[in-house]
Amino acid sequence: MNALRRHRALSRIWASDPGLRGWFTTVNHTDLGRMFLAVAVFFFVVGGILAMLIRAQLASPRSAFLGPDHYNQVLTMHGTIMMFLFAIPLFEGLAVYLLPKMLGTRDLAFPRLTAYGFWCYVFGGAMMVFSLLAGVAPDSGWFMYPPLSSTIGAPGINPDFWLIGITFVEISAISAAVEITVTVLRYRAPGMSLSKMPIFAWYALVTAVMILTGFPPLILGSILLELERAFGMPFFQVAAGGDALLWQHLFWLFGHPEVYIIFLPAAGAISTILPVMARTTLMGYGWIVAAAVSLGVLSFGLWVHHMFTTGIPHMGLAFFSAASTLVAVPTAVQIFAWIGTLSKGRPSLHLPMLWLLAFFATFVIGGLTGVMVAIVPFDWQAHDTYFIVAHLHYVLIGGFVFPMLAALYYWMPHFTGRKTYFKLGNTAFWLVFFGFHGTFLLLHWAGLLGMRRRIDTYEAGQGWEAINLIASISGFVMAIGFALVLIDVVINAVVAIRGSRDPWKAGTLEWAMPTPSAPYNFASLPHVTSRDPLYDDPELPVRLARGEGYLGDPGRARRETISVEIASGAPRYITVFPGNTALPMLMSAITGLFFLGMLLKTYWLVPISASGVIACALYWVWSLGGTTREGPLPVGRGPDLLTAAETADPPGWWGSIFLLLANGTFFGSLLFGYVFLWTIAPNWPPPNFAEPGLGIGLTALAGAALTALGTRWRPGAALLFAAPGLVALAVTGVMTLMLVPDPTAHAYDATLWVLIGYGLLHQPWHS
Amino acid sequence: MITVLRLSLPLAIWLASFSGVYGLHGLMCSSRWAGPPIGLSERGLLIGAAILAIAVQSLCLVVLRAPKWRDPDPAMRRIGLALAAIALVAAIWTLLPPTVLASCM
Ligand code: HEM
Ligand SMILES: [Cu+2]
Repeated sequence: MNALRRHRALSRIWASDPGLRGWFTTVNHTDLGRMFLAVAVFFFVVGGILAMLIRAQLASPRSAFLGPDHYNQVLTMHGTIMMFLFAIPLFEGLAVYLLPKMLGTRDLAFPRLTAYGFWCYVFGGAMMVFSLLAGVAPDSGWFMYPPLSSTIGAPGINPDFWLIGITFVEISAISAAVEITVTVLRYRAPGMSLSKMPIFAWYALVTAVMILTGFPPLILGSILLELERAFGMPFFQVAAGGDALLWQHLFWLFGHPEVYIIFLPAAGAISTILPVMARTTLMGYGWIVAAAVSLGVLSFGLWVHHMFTTGIPHMGLAFFSAASTLVAVPTAVQIFAWIGTLSKGRPSLHLPMLWLLAFFATFVIGGLTGVMVAIVPFDWQAHDTYFIVAHLHYVLIGGFVFPMLAALYYWMPHFTGRKTYFKLGNTAFWLVFFGFHGTFLLLHWAGLLGMRRRIDTYEAGQGWEAINLIASISGFVMAIGFALVLIDVVINAVVAIRGSRDPWKAGTLEWAMPTPSAPYNFASLPHVTSRDPLYDDPELPVRLARGEGYLGDPGRARRETISVEIASGAPRYITVFPGNTALPMLMSAITGLFFLGMLLKTYWLVPISASGVIACALYWVWSLGGTTREGPLPVGRGPDLLTAAETADPPGWWGSIFLLLANGTFFGSLLFGYVFLWTIAPNWPPPNFAEPGLGIGLTALAGAALTALGTRWRPGAALLFAAPGLVALAVTGVMTLMLVPDPTAHAYDATLWVLIGYGLLHQPWHS
Repeated sequence: MITVLRLSLPLAIWLASFSGVYGLHGLMCSSRWAGPPIGLSERGLLIGAAILAIAVQSLCLVVLRAPKWRDPDPAMRRIGLALAAIALVAAIWTLLPPTVLASCM
């Protein structure tokens, strides 16, 4: 079979449906990656417009441009959109698009899950945009602190949009994270051991695991706050035994890892692009991996530094100040490795390189102010002032947006298959760069002069006027710069001339295919022996197109790729991917109804749509197909392999493992909440509270033991043990609930309800 | 999977011990705390817990170098050792506060 016939055959197998239908039924990672990126950019534009409204309002003292109510909505939605609907989805889109190509495989581990996540993002995002257009957007700040966000401070529907909409969107983050984790661990080109992985894959892996462990505390917090708002269960009300600080803990338990969830993918892009721009290889690969992993874990021990002014004991301050200064070390390791790479090579000033230089200049300042605010006495002065606003924009724009623009210009030839036309991009670069520093540099001083965050206006005569005016004008300059970037991208995509396959002379596998890429990525899969396969063998793309790698024979007429052993990358089995289907979109639409039912308090919709989701999920699993025994099949190279369905640890098994990890941190956060209220909340426990007695405890234990035993045995015996076990557990649950009949009476009762609800929800899974 | 565990375990232990010592401190400062077990002061308890955590972290480093446990891939082995070393430094640095501060202020 020649290369062209192979291309046609593979395209028939892998292509998305043609026309409009294809948009809704595609499960292909290239298509979904692009759609993710496009929607994320859309939200960047929306968030950017809101930012301009903020700067317009703050340009002069006593401005009446927006008014306090609108200002609060605009400010809250700016932060919310940028963090949840732009930054994280942009990473997801980039990873969804790039990872299979970089890793030398044909798609992500669970193609339909990619689609489900994408549609949850779109529908959840649409909910948020609707709230904005309808003038009922969340207005309690992007961190939603109660009591500002509880019914006391915000009786309207506004915060419900946040709590429910963002939880909906988080489904997409969790599904992308499961997807990325399993893909990086199991779906690589044969021979690609962990230490030969492209560095971006390491960063994506760390980020994905962080999403799995970082998002559950926020999901829990959102559920608790929504329960308080909708049903009066007083988790965050001091008078009823709750504590508003519990929200801050749950939020920042998520929130601080979140800032690294945003920074690490950018660092991954930098580590990929910089060596290519400097025409050399990355210095200190091992150190960078170690730095990324340690940042990922250390960042979970810093959350209290956002709460230095809440009156926690000195020892707590010292613990978290120490941990916060510590993260500067792995950050610095990366910076030095990058500088080393630069000095080792011969950097050329292409546009991606310019954006990387802008990153260095900006992010280092942000990192230093970060260490400053990690020092408690300084933070007591700077907290809640514009100094923090400046810090966070230096790290977020300098550390995420600039590297992502480098990534955009670096991978654009891959997206479009065209040469880039750079002049407009250069102008845009300088406008954004100077616009950015003009906006935020002086705001450090505004903060030190006492200008507080989140104020909608200010009085003249405090020395803030000039700074704010300059900031606003520069903000608009920056916005013009971003608009030019967009125009530049559109021009490039439409009119530029066709370019060569690997314009930057990079060594990673995503450049080993014709661009824009075919839906199957590789006509045959490479065997990898180093980190830069294209440097070892410049002829690799041609040989892959000729079908000299793995799975070059499309004869079985189905979507096949190879799964590998985690550490060594040795081929393990053939995975057969499902075809195009509208099921993921349908399922996320029904998931949307579920959330809508809660938002609008039309509770009859909730069980109906929940059953709909379950029905979809069952159909999803069922349509995976049976396990027809095919025996070992030839893969074109090396020994024959079984299909995934015939092995003990198919991809689905791995997916469940990582979902369990997320579930585990969710439960951990719930226990943390209980212990926190127990130790800290002033009015806890209620005066005459009913503790579940010994009888209930023993029955619960016996029930749990029986169910656990039951699941270990043959079906018959399993039922014999598990059924009474389940009944015992259910009875104890109900008996405990009867002890605390009213979950709205006190935070203690409410917490017991949630704990038991969590337990009961998990019962069916055991059987 | 064992490779992934080798990489993540030392720092995960750091996270557990760091949150554990912080949690213990929180517990001791709550009004419901009945006082430390006989013969110990609150601060002694915290310092003891910190020393224990540091010891476990050192043990980790030793185990990861042992021929029986270390990673067969030399590059991964170096990364693993670097991570264990970082975890040890992290444990020492972040658990210093109880040695210089009084508890519950
Ligand atoms: C050297 C490392 C860093 C340190 C020590 C650090 C420290 C801090 C501290 C202590 C605060 C809280 C200040 C206050 O509210 O009083 C803070 C705020 C913040 N930091 Fe950092 N930071 C670092 C890097 C980063 C990075 C890399 C990002 C994001 C990419 C980031 C994003 C933020 C954000 C978004 C806030 C404000 C959150 C809010 O209150 O809304 N930081 N940082
Ligand atoms: Cu932080």
